[in-house]
Amino acid sequence: MTTITSPPHTTAPASTGGVLHDSLLLGGRAVREALRTPDSLAPTMFIPLFFLVVNVGQAARIFPSGETPFLFGQSYGAFQLPASMLLAASFGGAALYLVEEIEGGYFDKLRATPISRMALVLGRLYAEFAKTAVVAIVMVLLALAFGIRIASGFAGFAVLILLVAAWAMVFSGFLQLLALKTRSAAATQGGSMIFFPLLFLTPNFVPRDQLTRPMEIAATINPVTYVMEAARSLILEGFDIAALAKGFGVVGASMIAMLALSVRMVNNYD
Amino acid sequence: MSAISAVGLKKTYGQGDERIEAVRGVDLEVRAGEVFGFLGPNGAGKSTTVRMLTTLMTITDGTAHVGGVSVSDDPHGARRKIGVALQEAGLDNRQTGREILTLQARLFGMNAATATARAQELLELVGLVDAGERRVKGYSGGMKRRLDLASALVHEPEVLFLDEPTTGLDPASRITVWDEVRRINESGTTVFLTTQYLEEADQLCGRLAIIDDGLIIREGTPAALKADLRNRKGLDADPTLDDVFLEATGRTRERAAGEVKEV
Repeated sequence: MTTITSPPHTTAPASTGGVLHDSLLLGGRAVREALRTPDSLAPTMFIPLFFLVVNVGQAARIFPSGETPFLFGQSYGAFQLPASMLLAASFGGAALYLVEEIEGGYFDKLRATPISRMALVLGRLYAEFAKTAVVAIVMVLLALAFGIRIASGFAGFAVLILLVAAWAMVFSGFLQLLALKTRSAAATQGGSMIFFPLLFLTPNFVPRDQLTRPMEIAATINPVTYVMEAARSLILEGFDIAALAKGFGVVGASMIAMLALSVRMVNNYD
Repeated sequence: MSAISAVGLKKTYGQGDERIEAVRGVDLEVRAGEVFGFLGPNGAGKSTTVRMLTTLMTITDGTAHVGGVSVSDDPHGARRKIGVALQEAGLDNRQTGREILTLQARLFGMNAATATARAQELLELVGLVDAGERRVKGYSGGMKRRLDLASALVHEPEVLFLDEPTTGLDPASRITVWDEVRRINESGTTVFLTTQYLEEADQLCGRLAIIDDGLIIREGTPAALKADLRNRKGLDADPTLDDVFLEATGRTRERAAGEVKEV
């Protein structure tokens, strides 16, 4: 081995490239990591497709397309597709990778660099966005092959992918928050299960106005409902500005809350 | 100028009856260009002090400056002055050695071309060029330590913090790390080193401090600390640094079944 030289009294560059630059660098690393662990993507793809097939198989005959107004002439699979996409968006591994890094010491290495704490939070979430976008695109393409149409057209398809992938960032962000708080893989894994009650307390099988009263109340106060209704409107109806505003409003407000809490957590992390 | 200074540094965890004072008022002055050893038994407050000085832990009370920059008032400024290699070689096992160094360089503000060149330079310097394209998961303990050391040096820091850099290494790897620490220091970098190996401190450190129960209980050059103990105890020969450590921390050695153990 040869000598390490470390010239004295040279100061590191005065500033880094800003939140976007640094978070994209960390996001690129997380994407590489995802590509190197393709087995971790398999459940993200297959479990939501499994639920889609099972749910449609069980309920499609109850809701024939020609006689069910809320299907707008499409099959029941079109109604179920957003629920499966949102399920796929909840499989992000960002938080578990973060726990690994905390335990292994690499998170401290990153914290010792002069980058924005926001970039530390956002880096892995960009990768979650990218991974979920790819999975969501594949799911929609498979759905198209089975006769499902996107009523809002190609632009609506793009908005749909954006909505679902942004929700994946939010959900993974809250799990990262849990990972930072507990530093435990078991607790973080347990926390991810919160998505199941959130997903099922929605107008998952029928529109909200056809739910029983207690379920309707639960769905109304559940923010995931509005993301699901926005996604569903793009598939079944076209551009419903009110539904989209509520859906993106939930994603945006949750994103701001998640980022604020996460940055505070990293700043006070001991 | 001081490379590191701390006054009344304290760290407290918990509240009420569960309040624990891990560091109870540490004063430190490390001069630019020296290798400073920070010794203490397990749980004495070594790592907590290092984590406060490296911005990785909030300071409950007191002040700390690194390279003239306040750690709590300007943490980013302090981060640009320091390199950190903690107890666990903090590396991302799924990345290659080259990717880790390049990313680290870019996070310190280098552009892509400069970062790539710096990564290559450091891989050559720590003898990991052949392993540079391999993922860190397959590295040996010694290789990980060398890569960790290289990543701490990527931005040419003024002060290098090494927290137990040789723990868990085989003797050959340990000597290699010692050589590198000497060379890094000879090039002008101040080194703050914590260790549980007293031989390591004796070999490397110009001055050292011993911390116990959150307070510094001895400070000086190894020779001065040995001479002090010899004078105070009226010994015929110079004691070892082990003797200084054991006397300072109130621990004794007893020989049982052929083994020396601390009690």
